[in-house]
Amino acid sequence: MFKNEEMEINLGPQHPSTHGVLRVKLRLDGETITHCKPVIGYLHRGVEKICENQTFFQGQVWTDRMDYCSAVANNLGWAEANEKLFGITVPRRAQYIRTLLNEFNRLASHLIWLATHALDIGAMTVFLYAFREREDILDMNEAFCGSRLTTTAFRIGGLREDLPPGFEKMARKFLAKFPTCLEEYENLLSENRIWKKRTVGVAMLSAEDAIALGVTGPVLRAAGVPYDIRKAFPYAAYAEMDFEVPTQTAADTYARYLVRMAEMRQSARIIQQCLDGLPEGPVMAKIPKILKPEVNEVYHATEAPKGEIGYYLVGEKGSINPYRFHVRAPGFINLQSLPKMAEGGLIADIVAAIGTLDIVLGEIDR
Amino acid sequence: MTEPIIPQAPDVPEAPAGPYVYDYAASPQRQVVMPKTVPLPSYRTYLAEVQAAAEADEAKWKKMQADYETAKAKAEADGKDAPKPPVRPVPRKDDNDLKTPWPQEAKDADLLLLQELLGAKVEEIFEQAGELTCQLEKGALHEALLLCRDHEGLRYEMLADQSATHYPAAADFTYSVVYHLTSISRRKRLRLRILVPEGFVPESACSVYPSANWMEREIFDMLGISFANHPDMTRILCPDDWEGHALRKDYPVVGWGQRDIAFREDRGGMIERIALQKAGQLGINLKQPKAE
Repeated sequence: MFKNEEMEINLGPQHPSTHGVLRVKLRLDGETITHCKPVIGYLHRGVEKICENQTFFQGQVWTDRMDYCSAVANNLGWAEANEKLFGITVPRRAQYIRTLLNEFNRLASHLIWLATHALDIGAMTVFLYAFREREDILDMNEAFCGSRLTTTAFRIGGLREDLPPGFEKMARKFLAKFPTCLEEYENLLSENRIWKKRTVGVAMLSAEDAIALGVTGPVLRAAGVPYDIRKAFPYAAYAEMDFEVPTQTAADTYARYLVRMAEMRQSARIIQQCLDGLPEGPVMAKIPKILKPEVNEVYHATEAPKGEIGYYLVGEKGSINPYRFHVRAPGFINLQSLPKMAEGGLIADIVAAIGTLDIVLGEIDR
Repeated sequence: MTEPIIPQAPDVPEAPAGPYVYDYAASPQRQVVMPKTVPLPSYRTYLAEVQAAAEADEAKWKKMQADYETAKAKAEADGKDAPKPPVRPVPRKDDNDLKTPWPQEAKDADLLLLQELLGAKVEEIFEQAGELTCQLEKGALHEALLLCRDHEGLRYEMLADQSATHYPAAADFTYSVVYHLTSISRRKRLRLRILVPEGFVPESACSVYPSANWMEREIFDMLGISFANHPDMTRILCPDDWEGHALRKDYPVVGWGQRDIAFREDRGGMIERIALQKAGQLGINLKQPKAE
């Protein structure tokens, strides 16, 4: 009556748990995945081509639209790559404010990861709790630059404006209540029997595989490799900050959950230090109105919430556009490891594997 | 027996030869301005440029002096006052925070070690903006990647990024392919670069660094460089039947047919009329004042 053969199914492209428009071709033996192939490109807009035909100042707007959950982190990478290309020194106050906003953005991105990942696996309540705190961070974004999601927060050479009055009060109020909120999420999940059954030992990726596949960010740190660009190649004001790089050795979905929760605590620590030690001074370097580079190529990588985001820029002498602009998107490289994680596991666990990679398709397809 | 009713085909004029014609001349929106320079950073080129600029400056100064001498001799012959002696122009100093990162001579131990190990296969090593660059002969790439990963003094465990650039104005190559390696244990970054001509098939890095898989597919998709011994050399971001490679410099920015469709749909100026109406509601005068 039933044939004993492998079945092919498509997960996506319009599946709610694929975080965008991701299509995964699966071959199943019963409920076990024997073959898995991600198919991407449904959101390809040609950001690199567009940026090559716009000026250096205009390109930043496109970095918001890549990973729309962590727009500030993308802006920071773009601004710093350009500053490296032109040799601009950014004032210290601007560095601190950038660090501050970047860490707030990391919190927002991790919160949206927690919300959607838990929702995918079946824990509905955390979604509502996490979005409550994310709302406060978006309000702070709005207070700073007038926009909530696509921030375009920084300028090449510093910031457009200083922090608005009342921002520090908002930030301190948020910091005072945030540890309690983190405990709330952990009370809901950490020792939850269903959560542990869905995550412990699921979607394993060993440290050797992760390094070979170029995986960065919390996924690599959950495999026991303490590689964080904020520590390894310090940028912005991270060299002056006192924080730890949380790691786990289990290399499964639960370990990644623990790493990200610990990272949120460290982010709150960094924000506290930024607020306490905010130096006085200007927020913008003295730069010409029109930036024209010399012949130079730079690759600047920063630690986005999802992993290493790298910008490769080639400057042409006398031109106001970048000759070549390339983004090393963390999600694009991390998604390569999905077959390694999912093959041999159950079909129900691929949703956990996609969620734990924390992908945003807008950045993968660019 | 009744005749079967055959529906008459409506008398529709044939659609204009589609917007999907790859014809630059037909649409001004798709005109491509080809780059005229080759912005390939290189210490050797930089030194040559600096020397040429110094020589030009010296020649200009010599000419100014010679002009002054002739003018002086002429003035003396005519019995007039002698002209002012020339002042050597000082280069203008910009009052801003820019410090252009010029290429520097390679002093880093990794670059020197690579040059020692690979010998003549290394074409050039230099540092710029704090980044190490090693340009290799295009056939020696696989060997260099293996060395970088396995050699005790290098230990670059991760291929962080791989990318390529199109240089249509260059004489003896068309693309540069760059590999950004990261050493997690030693906290270092290194850039390997090869220059390949059109049609050359470089060796894939997949066997050394499996992370190169999708990055090489992206390069193939966007620039049309295919890699040898790659497990799956297909397009990744664009559909399989896409024509052209978008990040080449001869590829237009505006997509095929975007403009043409907008004009074809706008038969009778409907869109223009709606735009004027909306603008009128908002109190904006879109109409250009007519010349009298």
